[in-house]
Amino acid sequence: MFEVRFHGRGGQGAVMAAQAFAEAAVIEGLEAQAFPFFGAERRGAPVRAFARIDDQKIRIKSQIYRPDMLVILDESLLDIDPVGDGLKPEGSAVVNTRKGPEEVDLGVSVRCATVDATAVALEHIKAPIVNTSILGSMAKVQDLVSLRSIKAAIADRFGERLGPAAAEINAAAAQASFDRTKVGTCKGNREIAHREMWMPNWQDIPIGVTLPSGSYGKVNVGPGSSWQNMTGTWRTSSPHYLKEKCIRCLRCWFSCPEGCIHRLEDDYEKWDFRYCKGCGICAQVCPVNAIEMVKGVKEW
Amino acid sequence: MVVKVISGDHAVAWGARLARVEVVPAFPITPQTLIVEQIAEFVNNGEMDADFIPVESEHSVMSVAVGASAGGVRTFTATASQGLALMHEMLYAAPQIRLPVVMANANRSLGAAAGIWLEHNDSMPERESGWLQCYVENNQEALDMTLQAFRLAEDHRVMLPVMICLDGFVLSHTVERVDIPDQAAVDGFLPKYVPVNVLDPDDPIVMNPICPPEYATEMRYQLDRAIDSAKIAIKEIDIDFSKRFGRSYGDLLDLYRMDGAEYAIVAIGTAATTSRLVVDRLRAEGKKAGLIRIRFMRPFPKGELIEAVSGLKALGVFDRSVSFNSYGPVFTEVRNALYGSVLPVTDHIAGLGGRDLTPEILSKVFQVVEDSMEKTPERDVYWHDLRGDM
Repeated sequence: MFEVRFHGRGGQGAVMAAQAFAEAAVIEGLEAQAFPFFGAERRGAPVRAFARIDDQKIRIKSQIYRPDMLVILDESLLDIDPVGDGLKPEGSAVVNTRKGPEEVDLGVSVRCATVDATAVALEHIKAPIVNTSILGSMAKVQDLVSLRSIKAAIADRFGERLGPAAAEINAAAAQASFDRTKVGTCKGNREIAHREMWMPNWQDIPIGVTLPSGSYGKVNVGPGSSWQNMTGTWRTSSPHYLKEKCIRCLRCWFSCPEGCIHRLEDDYEKWDFRYCKGCGICAQVCPVNAIEMVKGVKEW
Repeated sequence: MVVKVISGDHAVAWGARLARVEVVPAFPITPQTLIVEQIAEFVNNGEMDADFIPVESEHSVMSVAVGASAGGVRTFTATASQGLALMHEMLYAAPQIRLPVVMANANRSLGAAAGIWLEHNDSMPERESGWLQCYVENNQEALDMTLQAFRLAEDHRVMLPVMICLDGFVLSHTVERVDIPDQAAVDGFLPKYVPVNVLDPDDPIVMNPICPPEYATEMRYQLDRAIDSAKIAIKEIDIDFSKRFGRSYGDLLDLYRMDGAEYAIVAIGTAATTSRLVVDRLRAEGKKAGLIRIRFMRPFPKGELIEAVSGLKALGVFDRSVSFNSYGPVFTEVRNALYGSVLPVTDHIAGLGGRDLTPEILSKVFQVVEDSMEKTPERDVYWHDLRGDM
């Protein structure tokens, strides 16, 4: 049994990566399963996906707590989630990062492959959807599933949904990633911090699961939960506001799904970057190009 | 106190009026229509100070009821059959948010080939929903239990919605003598509703948030225990009610001539009434027959039932609906509660789709149960008044 846990953000394709990896294993003649776990479906929200492969029928339907391999599609997750939790010391990891394997700290020192999958995805797919790139790198650190099978699975899954051109582009991204992947050993110094959750006994849950505002620390449901969820860490690009171009039409303020654009008294805007997840809707609805999306987590 | 000769539906409407209900979302459906019509008339005449909200479907009825109750006001509605089925998805909200909505269900068969007549297959499937469920036997009980239901639902130990089930036509459209209690006496029995949680813009809370797996098990168990704890409240409320109004309905179980009984049947609703007559006849013949009326399907009186059957040699269960290819729901619950006992228990299905339930049919039921004391019955489920072989 070989178990893989994928960590990504909504929109990066972690679920699809797990599915394609499972399909590649089936192409190899193995048994496989892949499944997601996510909360609210929001672009940028942390997502986990799982894959199991084995040479016999898989008879377990629970999540994976002791993975043989970690696949991290977004290295910023390391700071907000206990990503390395349970990774076997003899296991391996694949990380989307500009760093080399020796500079990465997962909290567990393992054989580690690194690649700038975001750059590969932007080159090939013209979007920061890194799943097919990262799949290519996975072929570097395990030998159950070959790059050839991975590319075949990608071509099949993407071809079916998006046509032959998409199949080709995504398979090429996997190949490019494979070629650029560096393999080494990552550091294990990081403390794997568990998110402190409110874990009441049944007697202590307020009846009707009705939550008064501000009465429970560390609750990520209920009034005020949106304040506690700093979605600003989800950004891969940031809106740069050019006030001199702004005609104060308020379209961006009206359209922001996170409500992080504040309307000033004179109707110019101000961004609260703690909650901006970089979705770019504000830039899209702006009729005068007064908002441009800039790569990276930036604030102005 | 005033004596009136009114239908079961009107008795329920009087109950809602005397309970000073504040919001009534309504959608008419036979055989419940008389309830919401009567309430509409009360409101129109100024005899009831309630917001009567006619909506476009039962789904919306329950949605409005949940919203109103969440707003902290006493909420009542009524439905039947297809209407209850259309509410199904919203029905689950009230127990889990712990909202004390009270609803009358005039039992009527569900599904095609459609009928408007009595069957329990509309309310029985909703035992899973978390609603407390009470089955009444006569129009007086329909009125009295409407009052008791609010007291029970709003009890801070309980805080759960209550469904009062009354047999369609056999109660809903049948007139009987009903004592209408004085408003002042009812006000003494049923204080103003004090919500535990209320939606208030000045003090916002979140109700019914998405509940991640980390909380679901505890939340469900809490609801399970709340339903169980309603047993104590049911008992206390009935005692207080009988002190004030001189009428008592016992408890979760209503036992009739069970002293020294050797065999008995379990029945709910009006089937129990006719069964009393049959029991009396059998007793007059020297036979030791008895009757156990289950008043609440939720909370289910498991312990009380085990105690009630302890001296019996045979038990029958009467069911007015069936889980196809299995048994009637009451039988399933009863036999499950008696698991491990050697008592022969048989299921007796009759009165489906409004088929008349006569003393003769019930006599046959008792006969089968009586025979099963001596001889192992040939089957565990009997369909009575069936043309063709079983």
